Amino acid sequence: MELADRAVGLLLSLISLSIFTYFTFWVIILPFVDNGHFVHQYFLPLEYAIIIPVFAGVALLSLLSLFVGSVMLKSRKKNKKA
Amino acid sequence: MLTFGKLTNSQDKGAPFSPMKHIFKIISLLAAISAFWVGLLQASIIPRTHTWLLPIYLVVSLGCYGLLMVGVGLMQFPTCPQEAVLLQQDIAEAKGFLKDKGVDVGSD
Repeated sequence: MELADRAVGLLLSLISLSIFTYFTFWVIILPFVDNGHFVHQYFLPLEYAIIIPVFAGVALLSLLSLFVGSVMLKSRKKNKKA
Repeated sequence: MLTFGKLTNSQDKGAPFSPMKHIFKIISLLAAISAFWVGLLQASIIPRTHTWLLPIYLVVSLGCYGLLMVGVGLMQFPTCPQEAVLLQQDIAEAKGFLKDKGVDVGSD
């Protein structure tokens, strides 16, 4: 259905925009703000800005390789049978 | 989307398709960015920790950009309802024709 597609597309764009603005604010703007400002309590410490993306990237790569490996194994099994 | 449209319409003389030029552009862009980053590291204008963050920030923003393009493309995808109806009619007509000729058209 067309409406479901548009809703999913809107959701994806909103998620990506929010992640982008949060991350930009975290990494680029926050280092220049004084340490006593109240905004700092809304953001995790700066080390997490490295840990979370790296962890997500590693998880994504491992999931991808698992998927590719399982597909290759299945196709080889099918070839052996036929 | 990060279209590779330049690849298809750069050579329209019938010459064989050469994907290498695009790779060279990407590699040169990456080399320029890493040179800039190493220069930042050496100059030490910004504290060290923030300079280490820059490549990660670029990768995350690239991923976000890709996701945004997918979402925008999904939202703007045309569905053509009239063509869908015509297509269903064509399918029914073809099925009837083939069934008359004795071909097994399978279930729906």
